[in-house]
Amino acid sequence: MKWLYKRLMQFVITVFVVMTLSFGLVRFMPGGPMDYIRAQALANAGTGTTRTLVLETSREALGFTPDAPLHVQYFNYITDILMGDLGISIANDEPVSAIIAEALPWTLFLMVLSMTIMFVGAIVIGAFMAYRESGRLDTGLTSIFAVLNSTPYYIVALLLLSYMAFELNWFPKRGRVAPFIEPGFTVEFIYSALYHATLPVISIVITGIGGIALQMRGNAIQILGEDYLHVGRLRGIPERRLTYRYVARNAILPMYTQFMIKLGTMFGGAVVLEQIFTYQGIGKYMFEAISMRDYPLMMGCFLVITLAVVTGVFIADMTYGLIDPRISTGGESNESF
Amino acid sequence: MANTEPYRTPNESNDTPVKLELRDTSVSFSMDRGESRVLDSVSMEVYDGEILGVVGESGSGKSMFASAMLDAIEAPGELTGEVVYHTGDGETVSVLDLSPSELRTLRWESIAMVFQGSHSSWNPTMSIRGHFNETLSYHDFDVGAGMDRANRLLSELYLDPERVLESYPHELSGGMKQRALIALSLILKPDVLVMDEPTAALDLLMQRSIIALLDAIQDEYDLTLVFITHDIELVADLADRLAVMYAFEIIEAGPADHVLLDSSHPYTRSLVNSTPNLETPIEKMQPIPGEAPDPVNVPTGCSYSPRCQLADERCRTEDPPMIDAGNAHESACHYVEHVDEEIPLSITDVTVQ
Amino acid sequence: MSRSEGSSPFTTVSDVELNDRERIARWLEQSVFAPARVLLSDWRGIVGALIVFAYILAGTVGVWLIPEPVQNQAPREAVWFQSMEYILGADHMGRSLVSLIVHGTPTILKMILAGAVFTTVMATTVGMLSGYKGGRVDTILSTVMDVFITIPGLPLVIVLATMFEPKNVYLIGILVTINTWAGLARSIRSQVLTIRGEYYVEVSRTMGVPIRTILKDDILPNILPYVFINFVLAGRRVIFSSVALYFLGILPRVGSHWGVILNTAYSNGALYTSSLRYWIIVPVATIVVLSYGLFILSQAADRLFNVRLRAKHESTSEETTGMPAD
Repeated sequence: MKWLYKRLMQFVITVFVVMTLSFGLVRFMPGGPMDYIRAQALANAGTGTTRTLVLETSREALGFTPDAPLHVQYFNYITDILMGDLGISIANDEPVSAIIAEALPWTLFLMVLSMTIMFVGAIVIGAFMAYRESGRLDTGLTSIFAVLNSTPYYIVALLLLSYMAFELNWFPKRGRVAPFIEPGFTVEFIYSALYHATLPVISIVITGIGGIALQMRGNAIQILGEDYLHVGRLRGIPERRLTYRYVARNAILPMYTQFMIKLGTMFGGAVVLEQIFTYQGIGKYMFEAISMRDYPLMMGCFLVITLAVVTGVFIADMTYGLIDPRISTGGESNESF
Repeated sequence: MANTEPYRTPNESNDTPVKLELRDTSVSFSMDRGESRVLDSVSMEVYDGEILGVVGESGSGKSMFASAMLDAIEAPGELTGEVVYHTGDGETVSVLDLSPSELRTLRWESIAMVFQGSHSSWNPTMSIRGHFNETLSYHDFDVGAGMDRANRLLSELYLDPERVLESYPHELSGGMKQRALIALSLILKPDVLVMDEPTAALDLLMQRSIIALLDAIQDEYDLTLVFITHDIELVADLADRLAVMYAFEIIEAGPADHVLLDSSHPYTRSLVNSTPNLETPIEKMQPIPGEAPDPVNVPTGCSYSPRCQLADERCRTEDPPMIDAGNAHESACHYVEHVDEEIPLSITDVTVQ
Repeated sequence: MSRSEGSSPFTTVSDVELNDRERIARWLEQSVFAPARVLLSDWRGIVGALIVFAYILAGTVGVWLIPEPVQNQAPREAVWFQSMEYILGADHMGRSLVSLIVHGTPTILKMILAGAVFTTVMATTVGMLSGYKGGRVDTILSTVMDVFITIPGLPLVIVLATMFEPKNVYLIGILVTINTWAGLARSIRSQVLTIRGEYYVEVSRTMGVPIRTILKDDILPNILPYVFINFVLAGRRVIFSSVALYFLGILPRVGSHWGVILNTAYSNGALYTSSLRYWIIVPVATIVVLSYGLFILSQAADRLFNVRLRAKHESTSEETTGMPAD
């Protein structure tokens, strides 16, 4: 229970740090959103009403009024976010939350699909490599992974797009689904979505799978040499159960850290990836917001991406604690010197 | 060894049957440097209901000796010779000829083993109960009755059964894990329990208390116990018989008191003299000079000859056989008769005083 | 075990008699030559070191040998392998790609250096302090680490880059690794947690050796190979992130950068035009080869780290023969 409480606190603290950071950036950055909005308001209004206009614009766009006391501004900002109000996009003249609500599912779709394929694949491949340690398959894959792992995902994305989409015309060049398809749970729609997601997913998976597979391999090799496996065998535990309940479980559990880190890198990478594939997800919106200096949208995307990762990590944390008995009961000495 | 008269513990009948025996058993690994023999033609009998202590330095092959008894040598190692298990109703089982499923039954149901390093013998993500449960069910034992037995065993080992069973390995202390491991090894009612350095990672007090518990449990469950250790002193009080290993062979075996107080092999004598003892004055303690031999390159003749103060030309060329030293005590030394004068035991000094 | 002399009252006579030069020689042997030998005993170590060395050479000597990129030094969009003068082709302004790549190298190297130094120093300091001190210090630092670990790096970097518009290469190097240190700090923390329970550290503590000395002499040497591996990996990360940011055009341009080449190639349609594909491939290959070099170097260094662990394990275990005899 103490552990649960700790995790929950951690989650809350992280969320607040992110929101505070975002507030600080928006409020105090020289040449940042505040100056920008002031300039915009000046351009929009003639004379005289500038002040009210600035205040109005910033209240609407950013979620706080610059002339209020700082703590009030902060409070307003936070409460607005917590109520789902992320301001108004300057470029699109639409609530940021509405834009994000439409875009986020697509990014989640990409990420969940990539993550699943990547981890399931890596675990299976890594286990295979471990069981055939130093065999041809093992050494071959190790060198291939070393090269793939050295290639940034966006470079693979560029190459895939260039060859598979433009040169060979095998895959769509842009977009989330083919135009004029009614969204819904129809075969046509799902097929089209998967078809459009193929290249982005491949770029993530083939550049990311190697590192995870190699870690799985290392873990499994280590566990294959553990005494408890030997003892289990002597106790007459069948090989099948040893493989799943002893080797697989103990080798997969430490992958959790990788999962956590990957979650962050991948969601962050969405900005680049969606730009390359012209995939209208939250990352693409964030990039557009940057090029158009649409600060409310940019910060909204930043907040939501970050919160999505923080939440994902939190959920992973909780699940991990349920699966691995060593976590929830602590065990690490925290004695102070 | 095979043709000597069996030793009898005083309180047992004259013809104590043999429970388990190794006949000319070897373990070898092939390495780049050549073949490595980590157990070299060892023959040894374990009598029904006795406690056999096997003593040797690290790297003397004693773990291989233990594993050989269950045919549990791991892959690159090769086990040759014979391992014979006597069921007790007149049947003999040649362990190395068993089919995989027969071997699975023999292990743990007839011969169980406790390893050194209790912390690494448990699956870290499985509760202690899980270990007991799976062992019972995969051997087709009644789980309900089996868990009752587990409860009893754990209580007898001074553990709180409920608490321990619900725990995960990392939640228990070293001593608790080791005792729980002993309980786990006895869960299928084996006749023989082989223990490989079961107390190595524990502190002195815990070692002592485990030894005491073993003594009690052995009596109650009618166990035959093979206790392997580097610590001759630890096993001295517990064991009925002692076997001393050096360079992958057994070089002396006999009744524990004889081997300890009247050792007939120079190595055993030096070992006894180099063992820290509360009663031995520190200036009398003598470490054995030199190093234990490499398994790829065992000296010709008597393997102890390079370190032995009695060694002469004969020792360096001719490997001594086991020689009867009387009282079911035998020793692989050409100079069994002279050992007494040449290497006085410091421990006898104390007894004399 | 790498115990330091000097700090311990149990120093042996021979240590005291060491003069400074001998001490330096010994330090060099222990901390530089011996690890280097292990590193180079592996093909990955050799190849990795050669690759990194080649890039350093290009970034230092190369910039003197290869002419600076100027407009119209070659025909516009000249394809590769047409002429020795602009062997890898040229961009839309007639700048030779070789010149662009070589003159972009110092920028990348400086960024890598800044980012990797920042990451490792920050991680080692925080991780060691947190792991060693324990108690409240640990709780606070751990929370900070966890917060930084969970915040995804790239969006944060993008937001900061957009607002600050940094122009200093070293600053950019640090910026793109702004939260990389946290993950490393956490694993260093857990390693320190194990080491601090070791007997020899306990001895130092009991004798009242100051924390700084314990950290420096007893704990740091044990995690140094690990830190080195992550220094190399952090360098890789700087390449990945900085190229991405320049490719997206988010960072203000400072001199020449491989990511900028990628960006101009992309915006000039090199992606859709097969005749222009060299323009993408050249910077891509430059990036991948260096990143591969760093990666295999880190793998070779991993052995260094594990050799230490193994050596330590052997010396503390009772095993003398190195065989599974016991």
